Amino acid sequence: MTGILIVAEVDAGELRPEFWELVTVARAMSATLSGGISIAVIGAKVDAAARQTAGIGEVHVIEDDRLADPWPEAHAAALIQLSGELAPQMVIAPRTILGAEMAARLAVRCRWQLVQDVTQIEATADGGLQGVRPVSGGAVAATIRAGAGPWVVVPRPRAFAPAEAGTGAESIAPLRHSFAPPALATACETPKRIAVEGISIDRAKTVIAGGGGLCGPEPFTLLREIADLVGGAVGASRVAVDSGWVQSALQVGLTGKTIAPDLYIAVGISGAIQHLIGCSSSQVIVAVNNDASAPIFGVANYGVVGDWKEVMPAFRDALAGRTA
Amino acid sequence: MRVVVCLKQVIDPLTPASTLALDRNEKKIRAGVTAPPVINGFDEQGLEAALRLRETNKDIEIICLAAGERFSNDVMKRSLAVGADQLILVQDPSLDTWDPYPIAAALAAAIRQIGGADLVICGRQGSDWDNALTPYILADLVELPLLTLAKSVTVADGKRVEIERVLADGSMRMNAQLPALVTVTSELGALRMPTVSARLAATRKQPRQFALAELGTAVVPGHAPEVVDLAIPVTGRSCTFIDAADGPSAGVRLAETLLQAGAIRLGGER
Ligand SMILES: Cc1cc2nc3c(=O)[nH]c(=O)nc-3n(C[C@H](O)[C@H](O)[C@H](O)COP(=O)(O)OP(=O)(O)OC[C@H]3O[C@@H](n4cnc5c(N)ncnc54)[C@H](O)[C@@H]3O)c2cc1C
Repeated sequence: MTGILIVAEVDAGELRPEFWELVTVARAMSATLSGGISIAVIGAKVDAAARQTAGIGEVHVIEDDRLADPWPEAHAAALIQLSGELAPQMVIAPRTILGAEMAARLAVRCRWQLVQDVTQIEATADGGLQGVRPVSGGAVAATIRAGAGPWVVVPRPRAFAPAEAGTGAESIAPLRHSFAPPALATACETPKRIAVEGISIDRAKTVIAGGGGLCGPEPFTLLREIADLVGGAVGASRVAVDSGWVQSALQVGLTGKTIAPDLYIAVGISGAIQHLIGCSSSQVIVAVNNDASAPIFGVANYGVVGDWKEVMPAFRDALAGRTA
Repeated sequence: MRVVVCLKQVIDPLTPASTLALDRNEKKIRAGVTAPPVINGFDEQGLEAALRLRETNKDIEIICLAAGERFSNDVMKRSLAVGADQLILVQDPSLDTWDPYPIAAALAAAIRQIGGADLVICGRQGSDWDNALTPYILADLVELPLLTLAKSVTVADGKRVEIERVLADGSMRMNAQLPALVTVTSELGALRMPTVSARLAATRKQPRQFALAELGTAVVPGHAPEVVDLAIPVTGRSCTFIDAADGPSAGVRLAETLLQAGAIRLGGER
């Protein structure tokens, strides 16, 4: 029997970095769950990623051409298959678009308890789990309790420190399972990927984000210039994404990304709770907004009450002057 | 072709956290001030998707379906005002719950009661509990293929539904044979405004009421964790406001302040 099965998501051949946060959760939970840690690597070309996970636990691979694209039903079928074969007590999946969907489909199909979006999690004395998670967009923190397992756990991104990569010393060859899904009712085409200019907001140490106050796509060029000066990335609120000014990959918040850069600069962003949940763990938050009563100032370390059209060009020039 | 759009009545998600009232005994979140509830935003976008479908496929019947403890007729009838043909409300005290299983079971039973649907559309998640699970359970209960996170929905020759699914770095086209269930995301766009005449006409239409008992849903045993406590998290920081004569000097001073504090390192350490 397997104790914990971690879903290692592979995106375009690369192991997604969320994996290391899941390892931290798995190691903490393995103190009370017997059976050890196993890893599920699902995709089409996953050898390199599978090797990276070696040293964490036993690696189980389902490699199949039908798993080349992030096709939710197929990936979930692979995870459901592995979960059937390995009978884990706990499956831990990343809260990515694909990972969260695989977790939901597994939990619903097997009627396992889904413990999702948790920022804390612990085993209870009676053999259950207890965790804390945001609800209502982050306005409220709920303590939730699940009875006996199996459980599907989806930790909140950035809530757990990433574990160190294994040395690979104890690595053994991955165990291969052939993909045997039931008839699949949906079909997909190859994704259209839109390359993100510069570094992605997940990885940047500085993120400068624009919102509804920018009133159009053009001002994002100014934010891009500032991001380039400080080696950062450009982010956005949902208003900017839904208005079509920038691509979805830039969205910070409840249904966007959860980030925790060293510095987050919010320009023309009101600070709605659903936005703040994606950036409130940033070390330093700066807000530029012409409305002194905007909620963003309530979470900011530094604030400028003013029009970004006046403030931000001077800000850029001051930084450019220092680098020149 | 019949399209069922699932709607949930929720607390307005823009209600400031400071005015929310937590019922820590019942484990419920209530709008402390008497702010009117709203239709969950993503569900409204699901209705917008259905209305767009009807622009190109005239013979589409749109039925809005909601399950909850009680409803504000004014709020829910907005769906009729923008063009839904029918509104069905399944009402029961047990449906004021964080657990998505009973809600999905009620929706499934109502869909069966009306003789099924060719396409069911749900919002990606409810803004009250953010579980994003009801569509998965509903698809499982009514045994429909599930396509999620659509920013556009089209139906080809009345047989297949096609969506454009939002990804973290782009999008992907997906399709399934009808009948199917689709969830939509905010990139799809906001629900249209009702015309004045449609709004007036809607005031005369009445929702159909279903009691849970008459649908004969079997009680679904709990598969979801339970909420044991609720709290408002403390998130405040103390903000240092940059004082300056005008905007440009504030910009310069902000740059200096951040450089001095070590928050900005020029030259870009990535
Ligand atoms: C379930 C749900 C999920 C959501 N998920 C997300 C999410 O993931 N991410 C997200 O961001 N939002 C999300 N939202 C939306 C969120 O509630 C807000 O609507 C959104 O964050 C507002 O974006 P904004 O502050 O950029 O725009 P606005 O609300 O339009 O605010 C614009 C701000 O700019 C300021 N401004 C205007 N002009 C200027 C100027 N010239 N100079 C300086 N400042 C100016 C204004 O004072 C205002 O504060 C979600 C909502 C719901 C209900």
